[in-house]
Amino acid sequence: MAVAKFVVKRFVQIVITLILVMTVSYILMYYSPGGFMHTTVMATALAPLQSQNPVLYQQVMDQFQSRYGLNLPLWQQIVKYVWHTLTFDFGNSMQNPSLTIMSQLKQTLPVSALLAFGSVVLSVVVGVPLGITAALKRNTWIDYVVGTVSLAGQAIPSFVLAVLMVLLFGVVFPGILPIAGWGSWKDAVLPVVCLSAANIGVVARYMRGSLIETLRHDYIRTAKAKGVKYWPLILRHGVKNSLTAMITVVGPQFAFTVMGTIWVEQIFGIPGLGKVMQTAFTSFDYPLAITSVFLLGSMIMIMNLLVDILYALIDPRVKL
Amino acid sequence: MASTVAATQGSVAVRKKNRNRPFVQGWRRFSRNRLAVAGLAWVALFFIAGIIGPWVAPYDYRFGDFLAINQGPSWHHIFGTDNVGHDMFSQILFSIRSALVVAVGATLVSFVIGIVLGLWAGLTGGIADAVIMRGVDFMMTLPGFLFALILVVLLGRGYWSLILAIGIPGWAGYARLIRSLVLGMRNGEMVEAATALGASRAHIARRYMLPNVIGSMAVSLAFGIPGDLAQIAGLSIFGMGLQPPIPSFGNMLAQAGDNILGFPWLLYFPAGIFAITLLSFLFVADGLQEAFHPKGGR
Repeated sequence: MAVAKFVVKRFVQIVITLILVMTVSYILMYYSPGGFMHTTVMATALAPLQSQNPVLYQQVMDQFQSRYGLNLPLWQQIVKYVWHTLTFDFGNSMQNPSLTIMSQLKQTLPVSALLAFGSVVLSVVVGVPLGITAALKRNTWIDYVVGTVSLAGQAIPSFVLAVLMVLLFGVVFPGILPIAGWGSWKDAVLPVVCLSAANIGVVARYMRGSLIETLRHDYIRTAKAKGVKYWPLILRHGVKNSLTAMITVVGPQFAFTVMGTIWVEQIFGIPGLGKVMQTAFTSFDYPLAITSVFLLGSMIMIMNLLVDILYALIDPRVKL
Repeated sequence: MASTVAATQGSVAVRKKNRNRPFVQGWRRFSRNRLAVAGLAWVALFFIAGIIGPWVAPYDYRFGDFLAINQGPSWHHIFGTDNVGHDMFSQILFSIRSALVVAVGATLVSFVIGIVLGLWAGLTGGIADAVIMRGVDFMMTLPGFLFALILVVLLGRGYWSLILAIGIPGWAGYARLIRSLVLGMRNGEMVEAATALGASRAHIARRYMLPNVIGSMAVSLAFGIPGDLAQIAGLSIFGMGLQPPIPSFGNMLAQAGDNILGFPWLLYFPAGIFAITLLSFLFVADGLQEAFHPKGGR
């Protein structure tokens, strides 16, 4: 029951935050100079019409405005867009008016989700053992190498790493792994690696710190004294208890992976969310931009919620 | 956070004996960390290149040599040329300058807002504290990048706009750090004594609190600059970075992606230098962290 109450409370918080963020974004875009019809592409296309037939041009503009509700007062526009987005009625984007945003998302969202999920799995599978190794071999060269490498992973953003990977596998060692496109599992390897680098670093660093902290506790000494063998001691008493501390720190980090997905997709030419969202903001595509804000925001916050629930499941001391 | 506060309080005790002790000690610890020193050297070089770049660059960044497009590295163009004949070496030198201006500017903007709000929240408490901390929570739930993206739409793609767009959403982390430092000290004996002597709040903040938090702030600044450098480049990937023809690392990375296989040198140098720079900044930050909070790191 407590869990249900907690989830409902957090869910309400998430919705309120989303409404706030969408409203702020809308107001900012509304007051931005320019508009979809004034972007370079549209303006050039409409320029002949504007000079030859100003009346028709005005009609086109008016029709466009009323189609997207841009002729309404600002507060009505906000209510309209926020409400429609919250009810998953995203409408049609301005750049691609024949397709609903929903149908575009249905094609692209699974791709991005797959990349993000793959990255989470890889980061845990690689990061946790690295962190454990570093903690057990503390202050040896292994520890320093792991520390430096994980710092490097954190320092270099996924899109820079992606560019470096493209160079490595496209120019230096061509033919081993595909550097662009989407089709087989091989296409996912490099993007997932790029997305994971930072997370592996964070997971390894926190796993190390947390395990060192845990192994200092008295119950570890007690377990050792009563004759628990080395690996069961480390794994069952040490690692299990330090995972909880790690999850709180690392959880939000994963949430931001969603953001990185969009960058990395651009570089590897993967038809994911990034492709849909890329031009939303530059071309003042209101419906698409608000949808992007909504999607990114809700994915990140839901991810954080899941982490909190997971935390409570693992650590019985934590009450939601 | 507890260790941060403890370390700061520890340095208070040392300061009573000798004003410069914590910094001398900090430098000694920092200089033992070879990666951090190497990083510092590269960062220094980067700053120097950013300052003197326009004078040593062999070509203007707008100059395109149409007779020498897409050339590989040669004596004339040591980093090669791009598809309109820009000299890549010059492009990189100017990019360093633009990257530094925006990153340092943005970090300072976040930092100043963070200091003001953090001090305000920490010193007055009550409603101001509650409101500011709710704001911090709000900013922390979403990536600053998202706010930056929308702010760029509003403000445009010039230097100042980008500094503000990246800087404004970044205040929350600094505000939280400074508030926690202030709270850690507010109830300390030193502040009590100053209050008893009739010192004003502003005087206490400036004279007693600020000097004690400089270490923590240096660390967070050192982590902040590479973060902002990455954000600027990230904005370019979305087509929202510095408006060309101003050269920037983000634009070079974004553009060169199209013809990477034919002309890889267009990426080798920008991507390599950018990656090394981010790494160096992080090594420096990590070194500072260890130097000022030796208990926290290893």
